[in-house]
Amino acid sequence: MIELEHIVKKFHADKKDTAIHAVNDVSLTINDGDIYGIIGFSGAGKSTLVRCINLLERPDSGSVKIDSVEMTKLKPRELYKARTKIGMIFQQFNLMPSRTVFQNVAYPLKNMTKDEIKKRVRDLLALVEISEKENAYPSELSGGQKQRVAIARALANDPTILLCDEATSALDPQTTGSILQLLKDLNKQLGLTIVVITHEMEVVKNICLKAAVMDAGKIIERGDVFTIFSDPQHTVTRNFVRTTSNLSKIETLIKDDSPMVQLKPGELMARLVYIHADVSEPLISFASREFDIEINIILADVEIVAGAMVGGTVVIFNGPRERINRAIDYYKSKDIRVEVIKDAGA
Amino acid sequence: MPELKILLPNLMKRLPEFWKACGDTLLMEAWSGVIIFIFGLIFGIILTVTKPGGIMENRPVYQVLDKIINLFRSIPFIILLTALMPLSRWIMGTAIYVRGVIVPLVFGATPFFSRQVESALAQTDKGLVEAALSMGSSPFEVIFRVYLRESLAPIIRAITITIISLLGLTAMAGAVGAGGLGDFAIRYGHDRNMIDITWVVVAVLVLGVSVVQWIGEMLARKNTH
Repeated sequence: MIELEHIVKKFHADKKDTAIHAVNDVSLTINDGDIYGIIGFSGAGKSTLVRCINLLERPDSGSVKIDSVEMTKLKPRELYKARTKIGMIFQQFNLMPSRTVFQNVAYPLKNMTKDEIKKRVRDLLALVEISEKENAYPSELSGGQKQRVAIARALANDPTILLCDEATSALDPQTTGSILQLLKDLNKQLGLTIVVITHEMEVVKNICLKAAVMDAGKIIERGDVFTIFSDPQHTVTRNFVRTTSNLSKIETLIKDDSPMVQLKPGELMARLVYIHADVSEPLISFASREFDIEINIILADVEIVAGAMVGGTVVIFNGPRERINRAIDYYKSKDIRVEVIKDAGA
Repeated sequence: MPELKILLPNLMKRLPEFWKACGDTLLMEAWSGVIIFIFGLIFGIILTVTKPGGIMENRPVYQVLDKIINLFRSIPFIILLTALMPLSRWIMGTAIYVRGVIVPLVFGATPFFSRQVESALAQTDKGLVEAALSMGSSPFEVIFRVYLRESLAPIIRAITITIISLLGLTAMAGAVGAGGLGDFAIRYGHDRNMIDITWVVVAVLVLGVSVVQWIGEMLARKNTH
């Protein structure tokens, strides 16, 4: 279990006294076996926060406990030992260019005979499915292959925790998918606790069950991923959710004054967002029939998040205003969030 | 070989002295080179790890070393040669000949090599250091297993450049009675206007520089992946 309590980390941008709070009083508990996402735009402090877990950054104040051991109080030797049980992978992979794949994975192995090292490295390479590249140098590998080697290296000393700092941000979507799948498998197979730092909502949506959203050094929202996605409370979170959704394209269309979004008098454009885990009801056609109005779908986007559906549509209502209002009330009663985007008169 | 006697009359008459000069230059280069290598490497590493943001950040150590290196780098070598004579007498027992010039050579080239090592180590990706620390490496392990190992190629290049610039310094040292090729060229080639000796010394130095450069480049390339 990782327990962070009231972590504060300041950086001094220049020689003056203006300190920047990279992490400002953050408390966070991550349970064993979780895949926990920490999302935020760059500069939100998430990388600093995750480095406080293995003390690559020493917090100015606060407590870092891993399996009830207070990390900040360890002596240097003890800290080095503790770090071998916390694997870490990076956006830029950070493989040693002068070492082969084998030598990279063997780097953290100590107090072992040559044969033991050989066996361990081969097992690890098999685990991440890259055995055939044993004697290649990192410069000969693709990004996805490099990250697999980095994962093997991070797992060399049987850690219980794996920290992933933007581990897929330098990879194409397909490779990202395969690395995320690998992380998911490792989580299941080894019971590994995984902390995922990312600015890509897609990643969180894909593998995390729980997540925290960071902004300006603070956690502004946290909880299970489905709730964060379906019902984001904070503006920053909403912006994040929108980045992964087609529904955000409507703002671009409006800005470009596209003919698609030109309203006739009396029409109303709204975003309908499903908050419930069940969107199987024929909500559009039902409301259209029931209230005798036209509902024109401009955009629609439904996704699977944490095993449940999340999404919504952008629609234009056309009909007498009183009936449109009744339709909106009906949606609200069905736990659908209705945001009016544009209204061409009542 | 009679042709050589016609082509290089003055040199051929002083062949034993010429060989000795070559030997002296090599001797100066080797002795001071080894000492410079050791100190330069140590200082370069200390600069790298103690600088702000380094793995063993230490402001006083960094500032003092940084200033001392700047101080010695800004003194022209010819002045250093004479200024360090008393120190040389104290350490080596003499201020002339090969023994006497080792001290000023070391003081003259160590700061240069330290900077070269510092900039070679600075090329090491910070991410590698971070990765090593995250795997439980101690700062000393990071120095030996990451910094030195991963910047082997730039360090070899730094050694090459230092050996070559050291060759220039040993020639200058000839002016204060150190012997060697510089002294040989000045005494005969310049003072007595024996042009053939100047040309041969130049040719030998060009050859020496080329060989060092070639070996250095080959080793550096072999260590780049």
